[in-house]
Amino acid sequence: MGLWAKFKNTTLYKSIYRNEYPDTPRNQVLVILNSLVLHLHPVKVPRRAVRVSYTWGLGGLSLLMFLILTVTGVWLMFYYVPAVPDAYLSMRALETDVIFGQFTRNLHRWAAHGMVLAVWLHMVRVFYTGAYKPPRDFNWVIGVILFTVTVLLSFTGYLLPWDQLAYWAIAVGSEMAGSTPVIGREARMALLGGHTIGQATLVRWYTLHVLLLPLACIALMAMHFWRVRKDGGISTPIPYEEDEAEARAEG
Amino acid sequence: MAEATEKYQQTGPKVRVNQKEELVYTWPYLVSIEAIMAIAMILALSLMATFVNAPLLELANPEKTPNPAKAPWYFLGLQELLLHMHPALAGVIVPTAALILLAMIPYIDRDPRGTGIWFSTRKGLPITIFSAVYTWIWEIVLILIDEFWVTTPAGTDTVLKGIEPHITYFLDKTFPFMTQPGWPGWSWVGKILLPAALMVTIPWVLAVIVKRRWKANTRELMIALFTFYFASFILLTIVGTAFRGHSMQLMWPWEVTAPH
Repeated sequence: MGLWAKFKNTTLYKSIYRNEYPDTPRNQVLVILNSLVLHLHPVKVPRRAVRVSYTWGLGGLSLLMFLILTVTGVWLMFYYVPAVPDAYLSMRALETDVIFGQFTRNLHRWAAHGMVLAVWLHMVRVFYTGAYKPPRDFNWVIGVILFTVTVLLSFTGYLLPWDQLAYWAIAVGSEMAGSTPVIGREARMALLGGHTIGQATLVRWYTLHVLLLPLACIALMAMHFWRVRKDGGISTPIPYEEDEAEARAEG
Repeated sequence: MAEATEKYQQTGPKVRVNQKEELVYTWPYLVSIEAIMAIAMILALSLMATFVNAPLLELANPEKTPNPAKAPWYFLGLQELLLHMHPALAGVIVPTAALILLAMIPYIDRDPRGTGIWFSTRKGLPITIFSAVYTWIWEIVLILIDEFWVTTPAGTDTVLKGIEPHITYFLDKTFPFMTQPGWPGWSWVGKILLPAALMVTIPWVLAVIVKRRWKANTRELMIALFTFYFASFILLTIVGTAFRGHSMQLMWPWEVTAPH
């Protein structure tokens, strides 16, 4: 018996993985049921629903980019100081003093753009395949809210480097919010934490970016995934009798 | 929406009543695809992060406005709208309305037929293509008029650039009572009324055409209207990103320089 086979026979290994390698129908069922991550899936899925040309994997890629952003984001928090002008200095330090600092910041940046794009394309895919139709109607609404949260996550993160690009993009954005009918001034005040973009804005957006919006996103994602299962899994064509429809139309 | 006699022409694979959906094991049929896509995506992002640096300009300076000052790319469609209408309309009302209307789609289109099929019916793809082209023609023409309609009224040195200044100038001359102190003036016609009317009328006319030409049912109508949103988002974002340079003037992408 090899070393690996011996290890697989220990109490420790068996306490972690409860089933054999999934190459028999029984173990292919158990691997899904026994795994926290995999059990988001059903044990079996419709063959037509796993075609890449049907979903393009866009929902899964959105989740993947959220995970990449969480990991790189927590790492960036070790070095980032949400203050004026320390925020900018910590960005410079990431480029020059921190090992893999530039790489991690780049990864965070590109994954953020990627996530906005993937979430939007996911919505486009779901629309054109008619996957929003009942009983998936409310999950579509959750999806629209998730799209909004994703854009807000990206937008709040845009200010944090505190460079000219960040500052003026947010200046343009908050000007737009300031033109809200009736509550424009209040909306702008709430967004900026004052009359101008400054320290208060930075702290406010930082808190939204690293805490409130990610939590909201996680809660909504949990609901979104759970409902995918509850609403009947990945959408597939419903049974449909052309002759019957014709007969009804004629009759 | 369509007459009851219109046949529902579903495209794609037919599922007969009582036909069982063919199922496969999630492991390995789905898990392997997910793993491959995740690895490919991580690889692509890592490569990009290795070779393309995230931008970092000089320290934020409220005294020094860059020209042009642009929002992140996904807001550039809205920033493009901002050039043509009142900021409350472009920055708040349009995006809010767009999100609410998007969320409402499944409550208008309740028919489960066509689920799980790209474009649902045989007319779906032609309607999508028509709607996109229709939307793009309207928007390109409007953007070009707003940019290149520049006149100087005889006997003045006022330069009128775009639709709104022309309307306001004409109305101010014709009905000057609105320009008295304390009165709102006439700019709201070009800044609010006309753009709002166009943003309702253009998709409305699209819906009418699609209903007449294709005898569209509710799903096909939704496809036309969603395509209006989808095509607008793409066009306005591209124009705002690549065709707007110094002072947000319209120019070719190779003439657009970095902000300074």
